[in-house]
This record gives sequence, structure tokens and C-alpha cells, in this order.
Amino acid sequence: MPGSLINIGKAGALAARGALDVTAQNIANANTDGYSRRSATMEEVGSTARLGWDSTTALSGVRVSRIARSDSVFLHSEARRTGSDLARADAEVAALRSAEGAIEQSGLYPEIVEFEASLARLSADPLNASLRTAAMVAMDRMAQGLNLAASEVQAAGAVLVTRADSGVAQVNTLAQELARTNAALVRVETGSSNQAVLLDQRDSLLAQIADQAGISVQYGDKGQATVRLGDASGPALVSGSQTQTLAVSQLADGTLQYALDGNPLALASGALAGLAQGSQAIAGYRGQLDSIAASVIAQINDAQATGVTPTGSAGQPVLDGTGAADIVQLTGDGAALATAPASVPAGSRDGSNLQALRDILASDGPAGKADTLLFALSSTLNARDVTRDALGAIAETAHSALIAETGVDLDTEATNLLRYQQAFQASGRVIQIAADIFDTLLGIR
Amino acid sequence: MSIITNSTAAFFRRSTGAMADLRAQAETLQARIGSGERLERSSDDPLAASRLRSLSRADALGEADGEALSRASSDLALAGEALAEMADTLIRARELAQYAANGALGDDQRALIAAEIEQLADGLFASANAFGLSGQALFAGEGEGPAYLRDASGVVTYTGAAEAGTLILSDGTSIGTGQTGPEVLPTGTAADPFVILADLANALRGGAGDPATAARDALGGLETSLESVTRAQTTGGARLAWIEVLDQRLTRQSLARSEESADVGGADLASTIAELQQTLTALEASQASFSRMSQLSLFDAI
Repeated sequence: MPGSLINIGKAGALAARGALDVTAQNIANANTDGYSRRSATMEEVGSTARLGWDSTTALSGVRVSRIARSDSVFLHSEARRTGSDLARADAEVAALRSAEGAIEQSGLYPEIVEFEASLARLSADPLNASLRTAAMVAMDRMAQGLNLAASEVQAAGAVLVTRADSGVAQVNTLAQELARTNAALVRVETGSSNQAVLLDQRDSLLAQIADQAGISVQYGDKGQATVRLGDASGPALVSGSQTQTLAVSQLADGTLQYALDGNPLALASGALAGLAQGSQAIAGYRGQLDSIAASVIAQINDAQATGVTPTGSAGQPVLDGTGAADIVQLTGDGAALATAPASVPAGSRDGSNLQALRDILASDGPAGKADTLLFALSSTLNARDVTRDALGAIAETAHSALIAETGVDLDTEATNLLRYQQAFQASGRVIQIAADIFDTLLGIR
Repeated sequence: MSIITNSTAAFFRRSTGAMADLRAQAETLQARIGSGERLERSSDDPLAASRLRSLSRADALGEADGEALSRASSDLALAGEALAEMADTLIRARELAQYAANGALGDDQRALIAAEIEQLADGLFASANAFGLSGQALFAGEGEGPAYLRDASGVVTYTGAAEAGTLILSDGTSIGTGQTGPEVLPTGTAADPFVILADLANALRGGAGDPATAARDALGGLETSLESVTRAQTTGGARLAWIEVLDQRLTRQSLARSEESADVGGADLASTIAELQQTLTALEASQASFSRMSQLSLFDAI
């Protein structure tokens, strides 16, 4: 029927126009993060045959039934999971690296070695005033080196707290956004391009949350996301349009502790988990620095107690403090060093007490302990670095697979442009033919 | 039928990631060449870094040991000079005693000999109280203050410590650094040279007894003193030789340590430059291929 012919042509032209719009949208958003490729799904229109008319024909053209959005739940969750692991490894490596820099660049080990060398020089001439002063100066520098290392490690820990605070704030903001998106998803019409936009937004929010804390997601029937922290049995962060608040606090030894609505929880992946692990490691290194300082104080003060100064009086403690942050030298006077044992008269050049101190420092002293600390730290950091590189490669692969599946390929869109342009031109010809047929009918005299 | 799609965004992401990797590698190699060190921080190679730390500690202690040894050897050299003076003094005193043992001398000649012997005794006292570089008495052992004191009546007593000091190096080697007075001169015994010389001068001036007999008796004691001083000279010489051996050992060890340091932590220039060249070639190739591929676009043909 000619009338139908023109309607069918019109329907075809409109559908081709719609498809061209979708293609143009894809091309325009080719570089948008989180954009999933859209395509227009065409559906044949069948209308009910009219009574008394050609009741067997029901041709009515085509229409765009829905805007399909390319999606892959599995690839999205893989990308989130590997992204969480990578973020955790990144945060932990950054924390360890700053701790390593703090201890190495404070010059702790060279200062300890210089102190031992100054004692070695002094043992050649124990009553020499300038050598004694040099030894006290070296002891002071060692104490200050410990102070500096402790304060730098403390600063590294403080940076972690700042990052954790901002990460937690971001998670809470994203959770609120996701709750609003969930609410909108319930109301939107299925298959419309609004729904595609909301689903893209939902996936992007989920990816951002997963970077901070590992999550497990369950989807509702209209695509709403229920987000649980950790695995599928963890507490719910977002459920429908309800959210719970994540918070971070610092324990007495400096480690970070997270809590969801007041209940403490341990995160296994994500940047926040890496920050918590880093804070734990840094607390451990601070403890080791403190024990190095305490043992140095004890060894030197004990050696002082068993010896006498050149004037014959008993040696007094020269170092004070409980840990690396507060170790301090009580006096810089070279005459306070008790180099001689208690059994010899005043003014003796007997240096056996000094020798005993040198022996203890060489066998169980701060140099060996500092070397052990640095070696353990650097080996851990090296291993974590390797792990981080491997996780980075895995995350990159997962992300590439996701983009390959859902991203825009400009070559495909270019061919779609040509295709739908041809379809539009063909439908246009159909309309023209319909008009010609009508003219022919009108022209019959 | 499955269609292979290449997301454009993924292509750019992969290409830039690969080029950034290559560039980072090139920059690391460049930093190594510039600094000559293979390790920028301990975590680059923890085992090598720990080894380098031990080597640097051994270096610092070796340097301190070298300074201690040079101090000890200067003191030993000064002590050797003092001992040589003492030996000369005792030899001259023995000559005079032999001359005075000849009975055919006049009173004024004996008086002259007595005067010289008293001067020799003073010289011996001064040599025995010789001081080292930092002002400590060389023959007082570990004590402070002079080795010998002379009281108002001219009696000389040893006031130093009973034992001489030992120098212990960082690797545990010990070496004696001095000799006490009694090890050098037999003071306090029957052959005390100060007592003998004082008695001889007294006898020559006409004090108790026959001067010639006194001179003959003095000869034996002076021989004992001379032997003691010569023994002390031998010991001192042996210690100096031992210190030289230790010094050479320290030098050898220091050389070995710096070689190991360069091996473990130094960047081998030749191989690093070759690696850098290779990385740069790969980087240039990937940049060229990326720009070729990104120019291919179907939109040019539409």
C-alpha cells in the first residue's frame, strides 16, 4: 500500500538517523573514561492488520527498540579486583620506600661507624684530650643521627595518616554518589540512553571505590549495586540508597584501624589496606630503632659504670633517653669518658675499659643491628616492588581486556557511519519512489 | 561469529605505557652512568648494599687503626732515640770507669772524671724521662707523670706504672706500645746505674774506699745496665718492624676492600652504555611505529 510505503520509508529514515546519532555519540566519547560502547538495536515493527484491509500484511517498518550498552560483569569485576590489589601494593611500597629513605638518608649507619672509629683512635692514646673530645663529639652525632632517623620515620607515618583520611573521605563521598545513582536507576526506563548513562556512572563509581578498598558487588534487577567491603560476606557499604560511613583511627603504636559505622574491620585490598599495612611496618621499624637506641645507651652507660675517669672518680652515665627519639648526650666533656678500669690509680693510661666497650660494640653493637634493620627493610621493599610490578602487569591486562570489550573502536564507528548513511539514503529513495507512485496515481486521467 | 575489536583508547594506553616504560629504563641507566654507582638505594640490591655497608665500616676502622699505628710507631721511634742516647751515655761512663780503674791518676784528674760522671748521670736521668708526642713519659708504662723522680738527696726512684700499654687493633691484633723503666734499666736492683754512678763519682772525689777498686767494681754494674738497654733496643726495633708489617697489611686490606666495593656497587661503564644504547634504539623504534599507526584512520577515506 503506497501509504504504508511512505510510512515504512519514513520509519527507516528515522531509524537510520537514530543509529547515526548513536554512532556520533560513540565517536565523540571515544576517549571518555568509563564510557561503554552504545549501539542502537533495531526491531521490526509489526502492527495489527486493519479490519477489511489487506489483513495478512502487517508491515510497518523499523524502529530503534533500545540503546544497547556493551557490558561485561565479569570483566568489570576482574578489573576492579586487580585494580584493588595494585593500589594496595602501590600504597605499601610507597610507605616502605619513605621509611627506607628516612633511615638511610639520616646517615645513621655512617655515624655509628664513625663513633666506633673514634674509639679505635682513642685506644692508641687514652689520655689525649683532643681524641677524647672527638670521641664525645662522635657519640653526640650518633645520638642525633638516631633522633633524626626516628623523626623522619615518624613523619613518614604521619603522611600515611593524611592519605588514609583523604581516602576514607573519598570512599564516603563515592558511596553517597552511588546511593543516588542506585535511586535513579530504579526510576529510569529500561533500554533508554539515560539508563546507559547511569550504568556507566555506576561502573565508574564502583571502580573508584575499588581503588580505595576491595569490594564485592551484587546487582539488583534494574542494575542497582549493593557494595560489600571485602568479599561477599563482608559488611555492606552501599545497599540501595542507604550508605554506611567508613572511618579511620590511629592506634597507640601508630597503626591505622578502619571502622564501618563503628564496627572495626580489616581491609584486604585497596589503597586503604596498603596504607594500613605500611603503617604497621613503619611502627615495627620505629620499634627497632628504639631498641637500637636503648641498647646503645645501656652498653655505653654500663661501660662507664665499670670504669674510672682520668681524675680517678667513678664513671657517670653519659647518655640518657628511652628510645631513638629522645636519646641525648648528657655531657660533651672528653674528661667524662671512663677509659681505665676501676682497679688502677688515677691518671693511668690503661685503656682496658675502653677496649671492653669496643669489644661489645663490635660484637653486639648498634652497627650490626642497624645493618640488620636496613637489610630487612630493603629486602622487604625489593620483594614488594617485584610483587607490585607483577600486579601492575596483571591489572593492565585486565583493564585492557575490559576496554577492548566495552570501548569504542574508531574503525568500527567509521564503517557504521557509512552503513547507516547508506541506509538513510536508501530510505530516502523509498520515500521518493512512494511520492512518484502517488503522483502517477494522481496523474491518471 | 565473533568480531575482534580494537578499542582506540586501549591502543593509545598500551602504546604510551610501553614508551613510558622504555623511557624510565633509559633514565635509570643514565643516572647510573652519571653517578658511577649501580645502586641508588638499598632496595635496588639489598645484599650488595649490606656488603657495601660492611666494607665502609671496615674502611673507617682500618683508617683509625692506621692512625693508631702511626702514633705508636712515632712513640717507638722516639723511645729508640732515647735508648740510643742511654747506651752512648753508659758506654762513655764505662770508658771513664776503665780509665779511672787505672791507679796512676792524680786527684784533680779524678775530680774531672767525677764531674763528667755526674753529668753523665744527669744525662741518663733525662733520657730515662724522655717524653713522647702527646707529652706522656715514654718509659712510665701506663702511668701518668714522669718515669723517674729524683729526691733532694739525689736518690732516683721509678714512679711509673708496673705494666706497659698494649694497643689492640680493630681486628684483635695486639702490640705492645712501650717499655717500663725497670725493663730498660735495672733500677732498684744491685746494678742500679744511678746508684753506681753516684757512688763512683763520690769515690773519685775522695769519698769512702779506694777509687780504683770502686771503678773496677762499677764496671760490672755498668755492663749489666748496658746489656739491659741493648735488649730494650732490640725489642723496640722488633716492634717497629712488626708495626711496619701491620701497616702494609692494612694497606693491602684497604686495596682489596676498594676493589670489592667497585665490583659490588660500581656501575660497569661499558655494559651500562651498551644497555642504554639498546634501550634508546627500542624507544625510537616504538615512537616511530606508534606515530605511523596513529596516522591510520578510516576517517581520512570517508
